[in-house]
Amino acid sequence: MFKKFSLEEISSQNQVKASVQRRIRQSIQEEYPGLETVLEDLLPKKSPLIVVKCPNHLTLVVVNNVPLFFCIRDGPYMPTLRLLHQYPNIMKRFQVDRGAIKFVFSGANIMCPGLTSPGGVLDEEVEAERPVAIYAEGKQHALAIGFTKMSAKDIKSINKGIGVDNMHYLNDGLWKMERLD
Amino acid sequence: MAEKLEPAKVLYCGVCSLPAEYCEFGPDFGRCKPWLIDNAPDLYPDLLKEANEKATDNVSDKLQSVGISSGGADAATSSSQTGTSKKEEVKRLPGGKLKKKERQEVIIEKVVRNKRKCITIVKGLEQFGIKLSDASKKLGKKFATGASVVKGPTEKEQIDVQGDIIYDIVEFITDTWPDVPERSIFFIEDGKKVQAG
Repeated sequence: MFKKFSLEEISSQNQVKASVQRRIRQSIQEEYPGLETVLEDLLPKKSPLIVVKCPNHLTLVVVNNVPLFFCIRDGPYMPTLRLLHQYPNIMKRFQVDRGAIKFVFSGANIMCPGLTSPGGVLDEEVEAERPVAIYAEGKQHALAIGFTKMSAKDIKSINKGIGVDNMHYLNDGLWKMERLD
Repeated sequence: MAEKLEPAKVLYCGVCSLPAEYCEFGPDFGRCKPWLIDNAPDLYPDLLKEANEKATDNVSDKLQSVGISSGGADAATSSSQTGTSKKEEVKRLPGGKLKKKERQEVIIEKVVRNKRKCITIVKGLEQFGIKLSDASKKLGKKFATGASVVKGPTEKEQIDVQGDIIYDIVEFITDTWPDVPERSIFFIEDGKKVQAG
């Protein structure tokens, strides 16, 4: 998704007004209850929240020149990998086996067999169309952030096709952009 | 839930900016290795072993060469030193970014505007560090025609000069900007017929 992303790809950036800021905070709070306690620090009420719009209906939430969340169209807000590394337990985890790692690194979507093979771990409760964190077999840190196309049960039973869309992965355009300035 | 979540500290590799355990999938593991040996030896214990083995090999080589020819001891040590310094091979991994070679060339094209009027397009001057606005002014003055800087379909800009001046322009470019070698000027004649200057 962020294969190619640089400062030139930004179409507009605006500071949002307080009502919109409140709405964003609320939706992030609903989505990630684990972040509740730190939300004050991450998205302070007083600090200007900048929303950056990019082509392909992509919106970035930026605080102090650091991108924190992104979303596609009106979908759920997803944290950037840097944020997820700092707070690993806010999202559900899927694990892919070792062989899939290098494909995910080039932006490929995650196929069901990668999750159902011996190296993979599926969290049964996860439904379709939800953001998940993707971990790799034998690694401690998140590898990518994905959006499930099928629920965990379907992935296990059907075991064919794309299971999770790869939205944001390590060393992609958004990862490389630690700060926007 | 009342406790505040503390952000976890992640060790990011100084070379490839990935979490240290993912360096082997990064763009250039070879460059990461020395950094990893210093900063995260526990993650890649094999690396430490490798480094130690190589060090002992080099030392034994040096000792051997010094022992064999004590007269040429200086030469031996210098040759072993060059052997140890690994040449950094720029590996282009399929996953990593391939640097597109931007060949420095000036392309001159003639486009017909009306039946008897045409314009000459000069592309690629900026690669030689030439300011296009200055260049277009000079061109216009020299050939007593209009010249302007136009943004092409890509990000690149080009200079449009009115009239057909392709033959004079080569000489003018090489005179005014001696940095531009004549062999890097190409005409376009029905598809890039690489007719050098």
